[in-house]
Amino acid sequence: MWALSLITLFISGCDTSDDETPTPTITYHKIAEGSTLEADLKVEVYSTEELTTGYNPLYIKLYDPAGTQINQASINLVPMMEMADKKHASPVENPTSGQAVDGYYKGAVVFTMPSGEMGNWSLKVNIQANGKEASITLPLTIKEPAVSRLKSFVSATDGSKYFVALLQPAKPKVGVNDLEIAVYRAETMMSFPAVSNLAITVAPEMPTMSHGSPNNVNPVHTGAGHYLGKVNFTMTGLWYLHLYLYDGTGEAGKLYFEVNF
Amino acid sequence: MVKDMKTPLLIGALALAVLPALAQHKPIPADSIRTILLQEVAVTTKQHNHQQHLQEFHNASQVATTEELMARMPEVSFIRRGSYGMEPTIRAYSAGQVSLTLNGMRIQGACTDKMDPATIYIEPLNLQSIEVQTAGAGSMQGAAIGGSLDMKLAEANLADAPTLSGSMSSGYQSAANAILGGLKLNYATPTWGLRASGTYRKSQNYHNGNGEKVLYSQYEKANIALSGKYLLQDDLVLKADFIADDGWNIGFPALPMDVGEAKARIGSVSILRESEDRIWKRVEARIYANRIAHYMDDSARPDLPVRMDMPGLSRTSGFYLEGIASPATNHQLTLRVDASSSYLEASMTMYQEGQTPMYMLTWPNNRQLQSGVAAQYTLQAGAKTQLQINSRANISDFSVTSAEGRDQLQVFGYTETERQFFIPSVSLQASRMVYKKLKASLSAGFNGRTPTASELYGFYLFSQFDGYDYLGNPELKPEKSIQSEFTLSWQQPKVRVQATAYTSRVENYITGTYNPDLSAMTIGAKGVKVYENTDHALLTGAETSVIYNITAYTQLVSTLKYSYAQSSDGDPLPMISPLRNVTSLRKYFGDYLWVQAETEIAAAQNRTSERFMEQPTDGFMLWHLRAGYQKQTEKKVWQLNAGIENVFDVNYREHLDWGQITRPGRNLFVQLSMGF
Repeated sequence: MWALSLITLFISGCDTSDDETPTPTITYHKIAEGSTLEADLKVEVYSTEELTTGYNPLYIKLYDPAGTQINQASINLVPMMEMADKKHASPVENPTSGQAVDGYYKGAVVFTMPSGEMGNWSLKVNIQANGKEASITLPLTIKEPAVSRLKSFVSATDGSKYFVALLQPAKPKVGVNDLEIAVYRAETMMSFPAVSNLAITVAPEMPTMSHGSPNNVNPVHTGAGHYLGKVNFTMTGLWYLHLYLYDGTGEAGKLYFEVNF
Repeated sequence: MVKDMKTPLLIGALALAVLPALAQHKPIPADSIRTILLQEVAVTTKQHNHQQHLQEFHNASQVATTEELMARMPEVSFIRRGSYGMEPTIRAYSAGQVSLTLNGMRIQGACTDKMDPATIYIEPLNLQSIEVQTAGAGSMQGAAIGGSLDMKLAEANLADAPTLSGSMSSGYQSAANAILGGLKLNYATPTWGLRASGTYRKSQNYHNGNGEKVLYSQYEKANIALSGKYLLQDDLVLKADFIADDGWNIGFPALPMDVGEAKARIGSVSILRESEDRIWKRVEARIYANRIAHYMDDSARPDLPVRMDMPGLSRTSGFYLEGIASPATNHQLTLRVDASSSYLEASMTMYQEGQTPMYMLTWPNNRQLQSGVAAQYTLQAGAKTQLQINSRANISDFSVTSAEGRDQLQVFGYTETERQFFIPSVSLQASRMVYKKLKASLSAGFNGRTPTASELYGFYLFSQFDGYDYLGNPELKPEKSIQSEFTLSWQQPKVRVQATAYTSRVENYITGTYNPDLSAMTIGAKGVKVYENTDHALLTGAETSVIYNITAYTQLVSTLKYSYAQSSDGDPLPMISPLRNVTSLRKYFGDYLWVQAETEIAAAQNRTSERFMEQPTDGFMLWHLRAGYQKQTEKKVWQLNAGIENVFDVNYREHLDWGQITRPGRNLFVQLSMGF
């Protein structure tokens, strides 16, 4: 009988298989470059996507004056928004290892607003390499994405302002999606520490159809203010990703991200 | 003999008869097989020789569809969602539990709402017979628990001298302002033959018994069937068949959507060897392929919150090999091996102004491979006793073929979507002449069926019947049934009576179970049901039929059926016909005119499913009047059929009709045909 099945398989051989395996390719775009005054180090800043308001991974490349790549360095990033009457920084993740991976030092910046009439962004890169210290400030242009990936709220429990960035799903699909968010507290205009003590509930909603989706996994803290969970979409279209954030004393805030695909 | 007298009358006529199917090429009849033969006169005279349970009445309205013809069989009922695309069921078994084939070919519907059973692709003009097998005998065709329904297509003929024959017909029905046109051509030579037929139907919204127009009940379709036959050797025939069926603008009043377009392409090539001298008297091999594309949309409906398209596609290819042998006198063996591969996909896209379209796979792309070996052994033990064994071993493999489809099912935690099922079935039937012309048959056996693609993989399939979204469950177990059937028949030329009682217990009965944790996707749906195996269900019932030739010119035909079915917790199963009786009295006036009066009575159905919140249905009684007149000229046969259905304009619905939509009221029909 298995022979019969095989024959049938043969007969139906004209049916094209729908399976496909996507091959991820990362393309780095250079968004800024310059040379430091102190040690004449060449600094290149790369990104895989256009920089927008929200969480942006940044990739730094360093070269010595001879043009040789430096793979051992300590790097510190300071983003700064210069406005007419004030300036402020934003949440940042410095490269955790002093070792470049494939030539890149990976960090991230959460830009809290777009560049424009309100003011301009710059990124100061502080470098410790080859026993010397150097720094450079590079201008950056930040755009507002079509669908917001950064929200803020004022906590109902401690009165502080919090920023919530949506990292995943970056490419949403019908099915099970990784959910990753990062939460920061605005301690001062210059300090935005990661928040690790929240309990977060996720509830997707399709506003046009007023239905949700089942079997979502609430994000839990994994380190550096990042929370990982799962979100399920049962169809394409516009979804609201409702998040409810609780600290030790109760509901600190709630917000939603739009996911449109 | 009554038949002889009627022979001239039947020339060129389309006649409808119910008789044991094996009569054609198989010398030993079985009681569990019923066939409707739609025959022309050549077959009628042959039929005269059968001294068997035989039921015959004209297909009174030639305007009828295949569905209307089948509805006359006491075993068959139809679930109705619109005027078109009714879903055939045998006894209390639903479509998924019945094997529905066309010339032995599997055809998978491409509609997630079961609006395209294979019966719609066949017109009475290209239909030769319908064979319904109940109990274990159905296992020859496929792994099913509810029996099998096979439609045999009309074939091209061979003739001693080149002959061209054919017919043209045209008809009208008043209730739906419907027109019908049909054309059939047959060219026959000694070594080859060609047959072509075409049918066109256009039906408007019909009027019910209250004189109200039932919106979205219209349809339009065209059907073309081609068949060729070539004699390779004296006993070896090569055949090829092709059907193209296109339906469009098909309304479904009981559903929130209609069908914009439905296309079927069905083809096969077969080779047949028939010879009495060999041990294998009849051997047939067929390869086939078919493709069904079905487009549902709601563009005709006003004021909807969102617009929706639901296209579906099915592709099936397969083969079977069947042989009939007589190893010894009074022994007959039928062997069959078959295999098929079916691919299904269906999706839904919802549109709202200014928003990204909402898209999902309602049937994640999936494939079903099935193969089986079946055997039937019949033994005539003495003059009075006959034994028959039917058995089948079936292997099926279901899988979701796209990453997209698997991603969707993972939402419910189903990481493994491939399933394999082994379904064995065996049944034994014993028949004996117990007293004079009284024959008793008892059969018992077990069989099973795989879950359907909807039951395994369906993704938020909305059912208008109970208002829930349905979710498939890839972890379902197959349904298994043990069943028994008992038939008594009294056969005499003047009076033929047959009564059958059946019962079956279905283990792992598959039904939708409400899951309060899930939220409905469809706007207005009450919730979500997930297909699950429930403990068991009991299905039982009885049918009787009587044919009484009161005089040579007067004939009475009456059928009565009743089904009773409930789940293990005592809740009646849904979609179970109430007690029903159809009685026809026909009188011939000479050899050219006949008149028939018919009553159709259905009791109320108050045994309704609580689980499905099924509504009870009132009983009704209908009267139909039909007449036929025939005139023969030298080269042509003219035929006029006319009548009034639902004479008293009763506003009624059958229990199996969805959505409280009542059926057509008084309907005048007329059809004229010319054969040459």
